[in-house]
Order: sequence, then structure tokens, then C-alpha cells
Amino acid sequence: MSEVTKKKILIIEDDRALQSALVEILTQEGYETASAFDGEEGVQKSRTEKPDLILLDLILPKKDGFEVLSEIKNSPSKNIPVLILTNLEEIDNVQKALDLGAKTFMVKSDFSLRDIIEKIKENLPK
Amino acid sequence: MLAKFLDDFRFITTCKKYGLGLWQCPNFLFLMMGLITIVAMVGTFFVSSRFASEGTTVMSVTLEVVFIMIIGSSIIRGVEKVAEANIMKTEFISIISHQMCSPLSAIKWNMEVIETESDPKECLPEKQAVFLQNIKKSNEQMLKMVTDLLEVARIDQGKAVFEEKIFNLADLVKESVSDFQGMAAEKKVKIESQIEMDQASVCGDEKKMRVVFDNLIGNAIKYSKEEGKIEIKLRRDDGKIIFSVQDWGVGIPRFQHSKVFEKFFRTKNESRYRTDGVGIGLYLAKAILRHCGGKVWFESEAGEGSIFYFSLPTV
Repeated sequence: MSEVTKKKILIIEDDRALQSALVEILTQEGYETASAFDGEEGVQKSRTEKPDLILLDLILPKKDGFEVLSEIKNSPSKNIPVLILTNLEEIDNVQKALDLGAKTFMVKSDFSLRDIIEKIKENLPK
Repeated sequence: MLAKFLDDFRFITTCKKYGLGLWQCPNFLFLMMGLITIVAMVGTFFVSSRFASEGTTVMSVTLEVVFIMIIGSSIIRGVEKVAEANIMKTEFISIISHQMCSPLSAIKWNMEVIETESDPKECLPEKQAVFLQNIKKSNEQMLKMVTDLLEVARIDQGKAVFEEKIFNLADLVKESVSDFQGMAAEKKVKIESQIEMDQASVCGDEKKMRVVFDNLIGNAIKYSKEEGKIEIKLRRDDGKIIFSVQDWGVGIPRFQHSKVFEKFFRTKNESRYRTDGVGIGLYLAKAILRHCGGKVWFESEAGEGSIFYFSLPTV
């Protein structure tokens, strides 16, 4: 991937072991990354970092993923695709996230890093 | 009294939250029992006062009713406690499993990073590459156990997500047979498959159907004798697709047949065949198949083996 087309992914995930694996694989794939470790930092970086796509966990300190999603969707960053990456697979959580404007819902325990890359490629604005 | 009534009402709401009908809620039964007892007492007073001359006294009949009421209430309170404990257990499993999912996913993804960066077999001493593979395999087992437990909790709470898509069951069976070749080879078990059609369209959740095959085929291999075989068949019958998997292994004693699809069931003669798992695979398989409009059943004799079947409507 050339520098010109390098896309930036914001990862909002409080678990550092998960965060670092995601950063590593995305960097290997040629993406630029930005990291946020809590909900407030996530909302703030969705504005300042101007990412092309956001990976969002649902259980987060300070602000949960639903609050973050709703704030992003009511801000100038509302067109950035948000992909949920969580272990909360209950139907009400899935429905709530999709209703709030998330593009897709991925369950960490079911998805490999390779699967996540595929979903990112599918949802990145061309 | 009012506080108790409110408490009962709260519990009824909780039961509804967990997808239990009103008739399944012990507190509702308790309230109904109270009402029935009052009606019975009034009725008994009426009947006994009319037939007092035939030797039945108002007092003795009243005492009988009170006695029945006390026993009935105690039984229902007991049932209520069991139901409460069950709900707490489901919540407990759900919380613990959620907490375990993140670290287990972190191990899985970090292992994947190591594998993507370089082939561990090439850059690590042979022994360490083997240990790394052991960690990966154990983590996969643990993650499967935890996700299955979470799925059971979700199904019990009526919160499971089921996709409804049309897919080819024949392809899925072929993939599953191929996935299990490694496990079968370790135990020197031969997998024979007879898939009578190339296209078997069914409607349901393909990912969850994989869980059904993982459990049915996995069990057949686990409970087979070393150097034995299992037989997998997929056929069409009366507008339905019938899948079966047969083994000639440990089998299930007849007295346990009624419990096979219950949660946490393990066969009594299992200790001879050391197996992993917590006994939720068949419970999960049944719940998934039922959701897809299917049925699951089995035939088994201790010491002779088992055949597990399921049927799904074709689309």
C-alpha cells in the first residue's frame, strides 16, 4: 500500500494485549493506526485523528461503547464507519449497536485477526 | 405483606426477562395457590356447614385445608428457591465467561501475530515451536468451552443471536469431516462418509450449525475405541435432510437416555474414556437445531456405541 493511499484506523480498546495485536497486524497490512484506551479518549480521537475507520469495543472505562458510538454519530465524524469488536454477543447489544449506526458487529472470540482485516477492507470508504 | 407481594411481582418480572412463561414462575404459582386456598376454604365452609349432620365438622375440614395450604406453600417456596438459584447460576456463568473471553482472545490474536510475522517452525528451536503449538491448541479448547458456556447462558436468557440464511448443508458436512480428520487420525479412528447429494439447502445459522457438527462428530470420535471407525451419512427423506453419525464406542446406558440432552450431562461409563468438555455440547446442539426447525434424536447401547441423528426441513 503506498503512502498516498494509507488509511488510518482508530482502535478504541482498553485491553492492551488486544490493542497491541491489532496495531501490529494493521501496521503489517499497511494501515496507519491510532489507539484509544477509554471511551472519552475514543470520542476525542475520532475528531482529532480523523480516522478512515473506527474499531470500537463496547465495555470501556469512562464511557461505554454505546455512548461513544452515539456521540460519534452525532458529531462531524458521523460518516466514519464504525465496526464493533466485542464479546457482548447478546441480541439486544447487537441490535442496539446497529440501530446506533455501527456498520457491523464482530465477536472477538469468533474472529481471527485475518477475519477482522477482511471486514475492515469491506467497510473502508473507497 | 405488601413488601412480599412487591418482591413476588419483581421476581415474576425477572422470570419474564429470562424468557420464562408466567406459568413457569414459582411466585405466580404461589400467588395462585393462595387464591385457590381461599376459594377452597370458603367452599369448604359452605359444604361442611351443609353436611355437618353427616359427621363432618366445620373445624376438621378447615384444619385440613390449612394443612394442605401450609404443605403446598412450602413445596412452592422450595421450587421458587431452586428457580432463583438457577437464574443466579446462569448469570454467574455469563459473567465469568465474559471475563474470560478477553484474555483468551488476546492469547489467540497474539499467537496469530507471531505466526503472521514468521513461521515459528523456521525461526524457533524445534522444541519451542512445539510448545507454542501446544499453547495455541489449549487456548482454542478453552475458548471453545467458554464460548459454548456463554452461548448456553444466552439461549437460557433468550438473548442468543440466530442468523437466518440459506446455505448448503452438504458442503458444511464435507468441511466438518475434513476438519475432524486430524483429531480422528490422532486416535486412529477412520471417518467414513456417505453424502447422497451435492446440494442440501437449509435455512438457519451456518456458524451455529458448525457447533452442532463439532459436537456430534467430535463426540463420536471422542467416545470411539482406538483404531475404530465412525460413519457419517447425509440423506434426503420425505422433504427433510437427515444427518446421522454412528460410532461403535462406549455407548450410553439406557437408564441415562432421558438425560442425554440435559445441561452438564456426562455418561456414567465415561471415566473409562477420558474426555474433555463440560457436558453442554448436546444441549447446545438441540437448542440450535430446534431454532432451525429441526429435531435431534439418538439410539445407543452401553458398550455397543451410539447413532445420533438430526433432521432439518429443506428449502
